[in-house]
This record gives sequence, C-alpha cells and structure tokens, in this order.
Amino acid sequence: MKKQNILSIVLAIVAVAAIVFCIVGNGQKADLQKQVDELNAKVASLTKELETAKSDAEAAAKEAAEALEAAKKTAEEELNAAVKAAEEAAQKAAEEAAKAAEEAAKTPVERSGVLRYGMETEPAGFDPHTCSSHASIRVMSQVYNQLVDLDENLVVIPELARSWEVGEDLKTYTFHLAENATFHSGRKVTAEDVKYSFERILSPELGALGNSASYAGDVESIETPDEYTVVMHLKNPSVTFLSNVSSIYCSIVDKDVVEAKGNLLQDDGGTGPYTLGEYVPDNHVFVNAYDAHFDDAYKASFDAIEFYTMTDANSRLNALRAGTIDLIVADTAMLELVKPEDPIQEISYQTRDYYALFMNCTRAPFDDVRVRQAINYALNREEIIDFAFNGQAAVSGFVPASMGHWAVDVTEKDYYTQNIEKAKALLAEAGYPDGFETVITVGLNDGIRDIGMVVQQQLEAIGIKADVQNEENATYIDKWKAHDLDIMVCQNGAGSDPNRGVAFFFSSTGSANIQNYSNARVDELCVLGAGEADVEKREAIYKEAINIILDECATATVACPKAYFLASPKLQGYAPNASSTSNFAGVTLAK
Amino acid sequence: MRDYIIRRLLGLIPILIGISLAIFIIMQLIPGDVVSGILGIEQTPELRAMWEKKLGLDKPLVEQYLTWIGKAVTGDFGESFRTGAPVFPEIMSRFRISAELAIMGCIFAWIIALPLGIISALKRNSVIDRVVRVIALMGVSIPNFASATLIILFLAKGFNYHTPVKYVGLFENFGTNMEIMVIPAFILGSVMAGSVMRMTRSSMLEVLRQDYIKAVRAKGAPERVTIFRHAFRNSSIPIITLIGMQIGSLMGGTVVIEQIFSIPGLGQYTLTGINQRDYPVVQGCVLFIAVLYVVINLLVDILYTYIDPRISYN
Repeated sequence: MKKQNILSIVLAIVAVAAIVFCIVGNGQKADLQKQVDELNAKVASLTKELETAKSDAEAAAKEAAEALEAAKKTAEEELNAAVKAAEEAAQKAAEEAAKAAEEAAKTPVERSGVLRYGMETEPAGFDPHTCSSHASIRVMSQVYNQLVDLDENLVVIPELARSWEVGEDLKTYTFHLAENATFHSGRKVTAEDVKYSFERILSPELGALGNSASYAGDVESIETPDEYTVVMHLKNPSVTFLSNVSSIYCSIVDKDVVEAKGNLLQDDGGTGPYTLGEYVPDNHVFVNAYDAHFDDAYKASFDAIEFYTMTDANSRLNALRAGTIDLIVADTAMLELVKPEDPIQEISYQTRDYYALFMNCTRAPFDDVRVRQAINYALNREEIIDFAFNGQAAVSGFVPASMGHWAVDVTEKDYYTQNIEKAKALLAEAGYPDGFETVITVGLNDGIRDIGMVVQQQLEAIGIKADVQNEENATYIDKWKAHDLDIMVCQNGAGSDPNRGVAFFFSSTGSANIQNYSNARVDELCVLGAGEADVEKREAIYKEAINIILDECATATVACPKAYFLASPKLQGYAPNASSTSNFAGVTLAK
Repeated sequence: MRDYIIRRLLGLIPILIGISLAIFIIMQLIPGDVVSGILGIEQTPELRAMWEKKLGLDKPLVEQYLTWIGKAVTGDFGESFRTGAPVFPEIMSRFRISAELAIMGCIFAWIIALPLGIISALKRNSVIDRVVRVIALMGVSIPNFASATLIILFLAKGFNYHTPVKYVGLFENFGTNMEIMVIPAFILGSVMAGSVMRMTRSSMLEVLRQDYIKAVRAKGAPERVTIFRHAFRNSSIPIITLIGMQIGSLMGGTVVIEQIFSIPGLGQYTLTGINQRDYPVVQGCVLFIAVLYVVINLLVDILYTYIDPRISYN
C-alpha cells in the first residue's frame, strides 16, 4: 500500500470520529437542559413541604419536652440500678480474668522445636478404636484424649472428664467434662461426643478393640443430662471401669470427621495436644502442636513430633549417632553396640509385661501339679535373665513389681529358687523318674526365643527332653488361640489393674487362659475382686488369688523386662513409665 | 512387529491369571491372618467374627478371589485392610520411587561394569584383567545388606553423617532426593556391576575370537571402530538380556536396601503388607510386579531387533 493511501484512510477515520462526536454532544446538551428544568420544579415543591413540616415539628417538640421531663425521672432511677449491676458484673469479670491470666501464665509458651523419633515398625492406621500396633499407639497418644488417664502409680487422673462420681452400686459412672475442650476442627467437645464415641466402640459393625469386658464392653446405656455431663450405666458392677476407659481404645472422637471420612484410619478426629500431620507410609508421620489444647498439663512441648519408620536397628542407631534423629526405640541387643564415646543417653523403665512358661494344665503330664512344681524348681531364672536380657530384667510374677502394692514378691516363694534335687523328687513322685519328652513353643520375639533355648537346657538337668519349636509369628498366635501347647513361652501384659493380670489369664473363663487352668476359689475371688470398691479389701482378695495360682504353679513366670530408648543427650525430661510411654509434655530438646 | 507385540501382550493374560491365583492361594496358606494381626491379644471370638464380616473374609474363598480379580481387571486393587488407603495409587507412587532407585542403580552399574568389562576382555590375563575380575567377584559375593550397613556405620562414625531420614520426592527437592538416593543406588549398582562386568567380559571375549573381527582388523579399521561398532555391539545381546532381567527384579527386589535406608518404595510396601497380612496390598503388589517384569522383558526383546538387524519377529 502506498503512503498516500494510508494517509487518506487515516484522515477519513479522523473525520468520521469528529462527526460522531458532534452529534452525540448535541444530543446530550438537549437532555441536560430538560433535567435542569425538572429539578427546579422539584426544589419549589420541596420548599413548600419543608415549611409545613417546620410548623408540625414545633408542635411535636413541645410534646417531646414534656415527655422528656417524665422519662428523665424514671431513667435516673433505672440508671442507678443498672450502674450497681454493672459494677458487680465488672468485679466478677475482673476476678475471672485474673484467674484466666493466672492459668495462662502457667501455660508453657516456649516450645523446643521438632522432636525426631525413630520407630521400629510401621504404624498400621490411626483409628484409636481399631488400631492396636505399638507404632500406631505412639502416634495416636499425641492426637487423642480419653475421659481419664492413669498416672505412674496407676491412680486415675482427670483428662477430658475433670471430675466423676461412681454410683454406690458400682454400675453408674457420671463424668463431668472440661468445658473448654475442643476437637482439632475447633468444635467444642460435648457430652454427645462422648456418647457417640462409646456407641461407636460398642457398635457390632466396627469390631472396636475397646468392645470387650477389659475396656468399654460392659457399658449398657449412656445418658447426657446436660451438655457437659455423661452418665454411663454398666451391665455389671465394676471397680475397674475408670482404669478400663483410660485406654487409648476408649478415645473420644469427632463424630463429624468419622461420618465424613467413614473411619479415622488416615484422618484426625482427636482432641489431643498434637494434630495429625503429613503421613508418608513406610517413611514418616508428623504430628503438629495444637495451640488450643484444653489441658495445660498435657500441652505440646514441641512444635511438631516427627515419627520415622526405621525398621533396620543399625540404621536407627547410626542415625542417632549422626544426630539425624533424637530418640529411638531400642532393645538389649542394641545397648551393647553403644560405645561410651557415643553421644547417646539410655532411657529405660520397668514394664508391666512379664515372660512366663505356660503349661497346659489339662494335658498330661502337666495336669499333675507336682510336674509343674518340678519345672519351677528346675529353672535358674537369673541365668535366663543373663542370657535373654543381658541381665537387664527382674525376676517377677505375673503381677509384676511395677504394679506397686498389688504385686506379690515371688522370690519369697521356695520354688522360685533353683533346686534340682527337689525337682527330680517331685517328678519321680508324679511317676516320671526318668523325665519325659515335651515341646516348648516359642515365637514372636527374641526374648521369648532365648528363654526357650535356656529353659530347654535347664530342663535337661531333670531329665525332661524338650524340643524347642520356633514358630513364625502368625502360627505362634494361632497356637496361642487354640491353646495348642505343652509348654509355651509367652510375653504378657499385666495391664493396669490386677483384675486383668489375674482374671484375664487365670480365671476359668479368662480369654487369655491358654494353659486351661481352673480353680473354683480363684474364679470366686476374681468375681469378688471385680465388685469390691475398697482398695485394701481388693488387695487382700487378689493377693489370695495370686498366692493360690503361684502355689499351684499354673505358670512358671520368669522375668519382667525393661523397655529401652536411646536418645540424644539434648533430650531432657523424657521419663516414660509403664502407664505412659509417649507423654512428651514438659520434654525439651536443648539447643 | 505389531502382531508380535500384541501376541506377547495377549500371552500376558494366562500368566497373570496364574500368578493371581498362586498369590491368592499362598496368602491363604500362610498361617496367621490379618484379623489376628489387628486384634492381637485383645482377640475374642465375637470381635473376630465382626472383623471377618467387615473385611469380607467370611465369604467362600472362590467368591473372595473372583471379587478381587474382577475389580483388579478394572485397575481397582481394593483398599488396604490396615490403613484403609486405596492400593493402586499407593503402588503407583511407590513404583516411582523404586524405579528411580533401580534406574540410578543401573546407571552406576553400567558406568562401572561396561568399560571395565571391555578393558578386561581386551587385556585378557593382564594385571588389569585380574584386578577387575576380583572386583567383580567381590561385587557379586558381598550381599548388599552387609555393604549397606558397613557404609552407614562408616559414615556415622567417621563423618557424623546419615542420609536424610525424611523421604523427599525427586521433583519436590532434587538435591535432597539425590542425597537420599545416591548411596543406596550405588550399593545396588555395585552388586549388579559384578555380574554385568563378568557377562561383558565373557561375551566380548567370545566375539573377539570371531573371524569377522579378524577381517575388520585386517581391513585396517581403527581399533576404536573394531571394538565399539563391531565387537561390543555384537556382544551386547546377552548383556542386555541380563540387564533387562536385573531391572525387572530390582523393581520389587530393592526391599533390603529400602528397609535399611527407610525409602518408601514398592518392595517396602510389599513387605509391610506381608508382615501385616494385608491381602489386598500383597496381591496388588505381586500382580503389578509381574506385569512389570513381563513388559520389561518384552521391551528387551524389541531392543534386540535394533541391536541385531538379523533378529526379526515377523
């Protein structure tokens, strides 16, 4: 295109634009004139109206002045009363504020960074009602609360329930909830939530771990008389109900989350000091501090706790050495690898677990009490502890010393000291002068397997030839379930109350009575103990039962092991005990 | 070629049916079950029945198998019994991690093994050859868990160092990911390198004895051309077969290394599944690994045709 053509096109466009502008401009002018005229007319009519209104207003003002005089009198009287009330209210509020400030002052504000925790196994889900693996429980303990908790002396202490009353019939438990507790969604915890949680535990479709007599299985009905009060009615009288519901399996969960997600395997429906954070299966799961946690005693002391799955023991230990991890789960074999120059501290506590030989009381020759006594006499428990636990365990009964005043000291019993002659004599008396052949079933962990090996040798000294069968975990559990055993080495948990330690394992109907032991008096005592509220009387009842069981040698208990952790020297204040191994309140990491 | 590939892929169907049946039966035969694992000592007959119903384990085995395989065909491997997470997406995310580890391992192996194998063949019975053969033998015979543990201990004691324990994806943070993966990949590579080196050496030796190599040399071709264009290319068929098999087995076979270095790969997922008797996880993983193995072998077979034009599947 030529330059001239372009120029003429541009000129044409400019001309057209100018014409359009003029036309539009003229039209607007005419419109504006019209509007101005209309407005003038409006102003005239408004002035008229204003004058009328003025005279009306003068009349109204007169009336108002009279009314005001009257109102003033009444108002003065009311004001005086209101001021008084306000002063009282202000005083109350000030008092409350002071209290709150005092409480807030108690709250630890400073947190010490992130705790990195190396675990030996992978957690299997995070639903406190259906997950039982150790690793899961460590994580869930940070995320969930229960109605009550147990301190290290097994005394029941408040958690979500700040107080409670027990009915005289021992069948009615009334809990008064904390009014400031919230779920991690921010919603307040109410009596309805407690009711929902227990109904979830008891629903037959879920198969919750707490749905058994050892936990919440005895709950018959639940009432919620007001927002913060829960009344639970039990099927049978129980003195252990409070310690039963202190279990993680009886956690209070958020109905909204459960209903939205279907379950809590991967989701957080808790009230605990930490919220469930990032989860990468087979590698890590993080929990993050929950600022609005209701209880100062349990407030988060770390910004986050990072749980790592490190199944290889050497890798855990070396990560700790290198400072990549702050705390790891350990065992006695690992302790030997720690050298004095390693910057590592050892933390341990006496568990409430015990290792024992269970003998089948309904299968010959163990149906003869003399054979069972002979086996007890044959054992050298110190030697077993040296071999299986590097000496790091205590000779113990099935209600171990870590259960405080409930325990019976088994070392005072004659047959807990090795006596080969007596053992041989008892065997001969029972008709086995040359001993017999039997099977010792072991499995699950090294402690159990090592005990099996030493016991095999020790029994040889009295002529018993035992074949140690080392079973794969699941087979071991199958045999345990089927009570298919001559002698089985087991690791049991004595629980938090002697009712579990005795009735669960030794009453005729006990679900874990794998040795088929039966004694009418023990059964009777178990029923009595479960319904007795007086602690001293209960102690007498259970001690009688324990002594009968020990004298009849229903089992040959061996040792109560310690649990071990290895930690960076920077970790301070971590003091796990058998009641609570994952309470990190007050624990710090020095910088 | 296309027909061949379709034929091979169709051949996959009976293989997969066989494998799925085998793994289903094996999982049923191993003692112990998922319910025992979940309930542990808290087990009562009532609770057990509740769980069996909930997980569908109360149904006849044939029905359980058909339900599972029916869904698996559509890519739905079900949900983990223990964590409730869908299995297939989890397998895919784990596969990426294992594949990265395996590929890095292979690269290390090739970098070490191919040049050394070729040199060793060319300088047969020399000092270099002997040294290389000893190294290869060590690579093959030292199990990777032993070398991994020793390396971790050496780094921790000597340098106060441990690879990062928090896994970070390749695309999340390349640097940290490499820090996590390089050592395990090197250990995997060193084991593979041993056998690849031995295979390269013997295969090269065989080809170098052939008449056509003499002809190439007599023609006056430069040694570089003789070795790489004529000898190495012709000797690479068995090497590639070996490498293909190794990659296939590495996909599920890095489990020991994954465990030691806490890498959340496919092997670790399968192993955790086996330990927890998590049937959907184990069955899904095994089926996936089987498909992968077959596909990798198919790729290797196709690769032959490019290396050796005489091979044809038509």
